[in-house]
Amino acid sequence: MHDRYLLQKDHLKSLLRKLMKEYRLVAPARNRHGDVLFVVLEDLDAAELDLAAQPQNSLKEFFFPQREALYAYEISDEGYRFRPLAPECPPTIYFGVHPCDLSAILYMDVVFSQGGRDNFYLRRRRESVLIGVNCGAPPSDKCFCNATGHGPFLDFGADLMLTDLGGRFFVEADRAQGQALVRSWRQFFEAAGEEDRNARYQSFLEARGSFQRQVHVEQAIRQLADGAVAEEVWAALSLRCHDCGGCAYLCPTCTCFTITDQQTSAQGGVRLRSWDACTFAGFTRMAGGHNPVAQRTGALRQRFLHKLRDDVARYGRPGCVGCGRCVGSCFGGADIVRFVEKAYEGGC
Amino acid sequence: MLSPGQGKEEKQLRLHGSGETMHTVAADLYLPRQARIDGIVRENSQIKTFVLSFVDEEFNSAFRYQCGQFLMVSVPHCGEAPISFSSSPTRPGSIELSVRRAGRLTSALHEMQVGDRLGLRGPYGRPFPLAGLVGRDLLFVAGGIGLAPLRSVVNACLDAREHYGGITVLYGSRAPSDIAFAADLADWAKSPRFACRLSVDSAAPGWRGAVGPVTGLLTETGVDPEKSVALVCGPPLMIRAVLGMLSEKGLPDDRILTTMERQMKCGVGLCRHCHMEGKLVCVDGPVFSLAELKRLRPMELAG
Ligand SMILES: Cc1cc2nc3c(=O)[nH]c(=O)nc-3n(C[C@H](O)[C@H](O)[C@H](O)COP(=O)(O)OP(=O)(O)OC[C@H]3O[C@@H](n4cnc5c(N)ncnc54)[C@H](O)[C@@H]3O)c2cc1C
Ligand code: SF4
Ligand code: FES
Repeated sequence: MHDRYLLQKDHLKSLLRKLMKEYRLVAPARNRHGDVLFVVLEDLDAAELDLAAQPQNSLKEFFFPQREALYAYEISDEGYRFRPLAPECPPTIYFGVHPCDLSAILYMDVVFSQGGRDNFYLRRRRESVLIGVNCGAPPSDKCFCNATGHGPFLDFGADLMLTDLGGRFFVEADRAQGQALVRSWRQFFEAAGEEDRNARYQSFLEARGSFQRQVHVEQAIRQLADGAVAEEVWAALSLRCHDCGGCAYLCPTCTCFTITDQQTSAQGGVRLRSWDACTFAGFTRMAGGHNPVAQRTGALRQRFLHKLRDDVARYGRPGCVGCGRCVGSCFGGADIVRFVEKAYEGGC
Repeated sequence: MLSPGQGKEEKQLRLHGSGETMHTVAADLYLPRQARIDGIVRENSQIKTFVLSFVDEEFNSAFRYQCGQFLMVSVPHCGEAPISFSSSPTRPGSIELSVRRAGRLTSALHEMQVGDRLGLRGPYGRPFPLAGLVGRDLLFVAGGIGLAPLRSVVNACLDAREHYGGITVLYGSRAPSDIAFAADLADWAKSPRFACRLSVDSAAPGWRGAVGPVTGLLTETGVDPEKSVALVCGPPLMIRAVLGMLSEKGLPDDRILTTMERQMKCGVGLCRHCHMEGKLVCVDGPVFSLAELKRLRPMELAG
């Protein structure tokens, strides 16, 4: 237990202003419609930072854009050539990231570096500094990170981890990059004492106790592993699915993608990678129309099996970080919490 | 530091399939390499075999793969499609892909000419466990384009004939005029300890072979469950029927091998289009034993 500091809240903007000279800054800010979003901050004075609310978007799009050109291709006398397009990745500080979204990045780190290493993702990731903030209370009544094991506090993964202690932040710097940052801007940080550590722990206990809903994620994981989820559960949920892909779009850990060519001239074009959703009928359909997924009853099955069965089997943890974004935003109410509840109740 | 497309790092590309799971550690995961069409063999009205080589000669002569693996093939403006090697890894220097006209990309490929360029990346996927075939009688059962990946295995085995027992190929086609790989079938017929039997769904005047699904041939074929390994490839319904019959003939499930087909976009285990009951066919397959499939229970086997 070392590298514990205090950062007075009054000093936060000055520190960020300094950091912005060297880094691009992405942070959750409230816009004039009242929505909190992770955005690239250009003007810190004009921005209304909000570290408590759940940003509507996750950080997924910053590392794995919704649509990106991987290669430009050209057909000429020289043949048929592909030219890699370097991803745009200025050194960036991601500030104010909650444990769920941090966990989602750690999850993507594993996904994009297993087997095949995806440098389009990894390069952006390498240029990133993560400054997280623990949740003193669940930002919304939809949060259930406590049930997936990803929050409300996170002890690893961020370069710097903040905990709001009222007028000051408790700062943990367990990674080299975070420690270097503190060293460079030492004037902003004070050493933390025993009392501050206790205050942090107190805040953790309060946060842990303030979740209103009990989502039985572990139970659902066990049921899926045992194959003990009734067919009717899948069928009933799939019937509610409008195949809109909204959940995959919002989800910080949904990383399925497709690759397509876009012709831009007679002689060339770009090869694009874009987000895709396993719930889409075309996701598995093959030439001639054969589809190994029975769409009417199985559309949503893969989404939940992937996150709660296959990821647990592969990585030892569920792919759902409990951020709650899909909860309440699904038209049909067929979100992952609904699934967990249905599986738990054993009926529909 | 990794930077895409730089020559130095491409040297790190692992060329050899090694063991059970094959992962490519190329610096640039999805970058196709240019290949030239050196020859085209029209197998039937729907299937053509393309003889290819990488334009980079050094890369071409060092390129290796294993039976049952596949490549992601780029055709200008059409994206990519997974296609199995139909040539044998025992004959390096050129690659053969046999492609059935199925949709947009494969139709565009069928229009291409000798000298035209394609993009290739791979090899991908878990190969047929050839070491496990040594000393065994081999039974190949194929339908239509399904003979393409098995052709690779048959030719690899013929190139080391002494390592294997009897070889039997049962091949089903729609009509006599649809029988693909005629040149191979003729070659194989000349090999020692080799039986080749053809069946067509609908006969034509002059046809003296069997009529009906390939399962009919299988009924008449004696299989020694102690000594044999079966390799099965074809449309889903055929696979299901044949796997069932082989089981009934007493062949153990781990010596019945087949390939699974799924939509594929990345080929390297990331995009998840090829999911199959918790497995990803592009890295965990496409080759599976019946023993594995019985545990997984994919749709092809259900019902
Ligand atoms: C491991 C593997 C090996 C294969 N080997 C061969 C082979 O040796 N010879 C051969 O003729 N065919 C093979 N196929 C099938 C071949 O990939 C499809 O016929 C081809 O992708 C169809 O593309 P299309 O654009 O012509 O058809 P379209 O129907 O126009 O395809 C539309 C899109 O769906 C996807 N898609 C459609 N069908 C398939 C499919 N069956 N598998 C994967 N993706 C699909 C493609 O990504 C394509 O972009 C193989 C498939 C797999 C999975
Ligand atoms: S499934 Fe829903 S709750 Fe879980 S991580 Fe994705 S968006 Fe968040
Ligand atoms: S093809 Fe992308 S994961 Fe298998």
